[in-house]
Amino acid sequence: MQFFFEVLIAGLLSGVMYALVALGFVLIFKASGVFNFAQGAMVFFAALTVVGLKEEFGFPLWLAIPATMLVMIALGFLTERIVLRPLVNQHDITLFMATIGLTFFLEGFAQLMWGSTVRALDLGIQDVPIEYLMQKTGMLVSQFDVIAAGICAVLVAVLAFLFNKTKIGRALRAVADDHQAALSVGIPLQHVWGIVWAVAGIVALVAGLLWGSRNGVQFALTFVALKALPVLILGGFTSVPGAIVGGLIIGASEKLAEVYIGPYVGGGIEGWFPYVLALVFLLIRPEGLFGEKIIRRI
Amino acid sequence: MSDDRKIGDVILKVDNISLRFGGVKALTDISFDVREHEIRAIIGPNGAGKSSMLNVLNGVYTPQEGTITFHGEVRKDMDTHQAAENGIARTFQNIALFTGMTVLDNIMTGRNLKIKSSFIEQAFWFGRARREEIENRKKVEEIIDFLQLQSVRKTPVARLPYGIKKRVELARALAAEPTMLLLDEPMAGMNVEEKQDMCRFVLDTNDQFGTTIVLIEHDMGVVMDISDRVVVLDYGKKIGDGTPDEVRNNPDVIKAYLGAH
Repeated sequence: MQFFFEVLIAGLLSGVMYALVALGFVLIFKASGVFNFAQGAMVFFAALTVVGLKEEFGFPLWLAIPATMLVMIALGFLTERIVLRPLVNQHDITLFMATIGLTFFLEGFAQLMWGSTVRALDLGIQDVPIEYLMQKTGMLVSQFDVIAAGICAVLVAVLAFLFNKTKIGRALRAVADDHQAALSVGIPLQHVWGIVWAVAGIVALVAGLLWGSRNGVQFALTFVALKALPVLILGGFTSVPGAIVGGLIIGASEKLAEVYIGPYVGGGIEGWFPYVLALVFLLIRPEGLFGEKIIRRI
Repeated sequence: MSDDRKIGDVILKVDNISLRFGGVKALTDISFDVREHEIRAIIGPNGAGKSSMLNVLNGVYTPQEGTITFHGEVRKDMDTHQAAENGIARTFQNIALFTGMTVLDNIMTGRNLKIKSSFIEQAFWFGRARREEIENRKKVEEIIDFLQLQSVRKTPVARLPYGIKKRVELARALAAEPTMLLLDEPMAGMNVEEKQDMCRFVLDTNDQFGTTIVLIEHDMGVVMDISDRVVVLDYGKKIGDGTPDEVRNNPDVIKAYLGAH
């Protein structure tokens, strides 16, 4: 039983990190209906920029992170200005293609700037079991995972606050709901989109820091975005709580499946189990756990 | 003719507006004016360019030719944000509400431009933010009372019946305290009772707040009853302009719009 909980907790904590990537997708999808394929590339770009600033220019970490944050904000506004604005009113698929283009640009640009070697990112948080818990209960729970989860929780709380309490939050929700109506009450659509992309950039930065420090900053970070897909299908593309709960479920279930079902089928389940789960969900509940119900009046 | 309401000077004037979408001429050489405090109707058969005209007035479409003079300022086109800041609010033919939000939140979005505090003040709920929120809420509650929406105040808009949704849209427009209100078919698809309610609200708005109203409507009874002056469009051209009586007796209008009665 203790082993079960150990696996469960490890799964939930890694799920938080999936949720973080999914969150970036949800923000942009909600506000503009664009499925931002470049979210994974943004994660990679942000992490590589932090490491690059640190190693090439000798920035200390406390300076490299805010500097990268500024870069991500600038990137968000530039994306709106250069990529999205000329494509206003085009089909969703056109915008989707544009974000694929953005993906290639970001991946190429990041590696052109900082090179393509795998780099270590040390946040000063050690990936060791928490001793107190180990002595008390005998469970091995990674300190890094717990701190990462804490950071995610703070980030989500800040976002929730921003969305629910401020004028810009109300404008964001309004734009997410109806573009035309938002325009009519004087909400500047383009400005709001710029802000959303900037916020998604900051979320990508946090995800990049955590994933990068765990797995090393490398090209494979862009594939993290793929893991966010089953999370989104589970949680719903338009729901922030959905992204979090979806992430937790995916994280926990893939670890549990690996440990308990894995031995019977030769292991390696972790890699594909989330996609199967997502497929099942698509059959039963296509809008996801928290997504907006698809209602058609006839 | 108009009753004892005081109709003022011209506040909006459009001159020789032409609007094309590729080869399609939506509007050709349209000129008319709107006076302060009046109710001005735009009528015409389907596809006459009424909605396009409204979209030009609040900046959704940019006309290729012509000028718009609003409060004495001549411009080539409006910009939606500018229009809202200059006191133009509107409703839509196919209701455009924020369906996920409650009635109250929807109406609050109408106050968006009135909020001046910074987002840091709002996030931590101090200084101007608190005062503003209270002021804005008060104003919104007044509008809720005015349009008799008290009972649905906290209901998500998606659950409301059609007639009430139309009313919520009007409430959101009024929340901006507009000087000019553009209504795109405010009574379309309503039953008689709902229409009467809506008529009353439109007249009361005009009366109590002195709001200038430009409205598109298909129900001729309603148009002739409540409007001071009427513009008639057909195939993107203006074919009539005047008081309801004048328009009713205009041979061009009779031919094009009212049919061969």
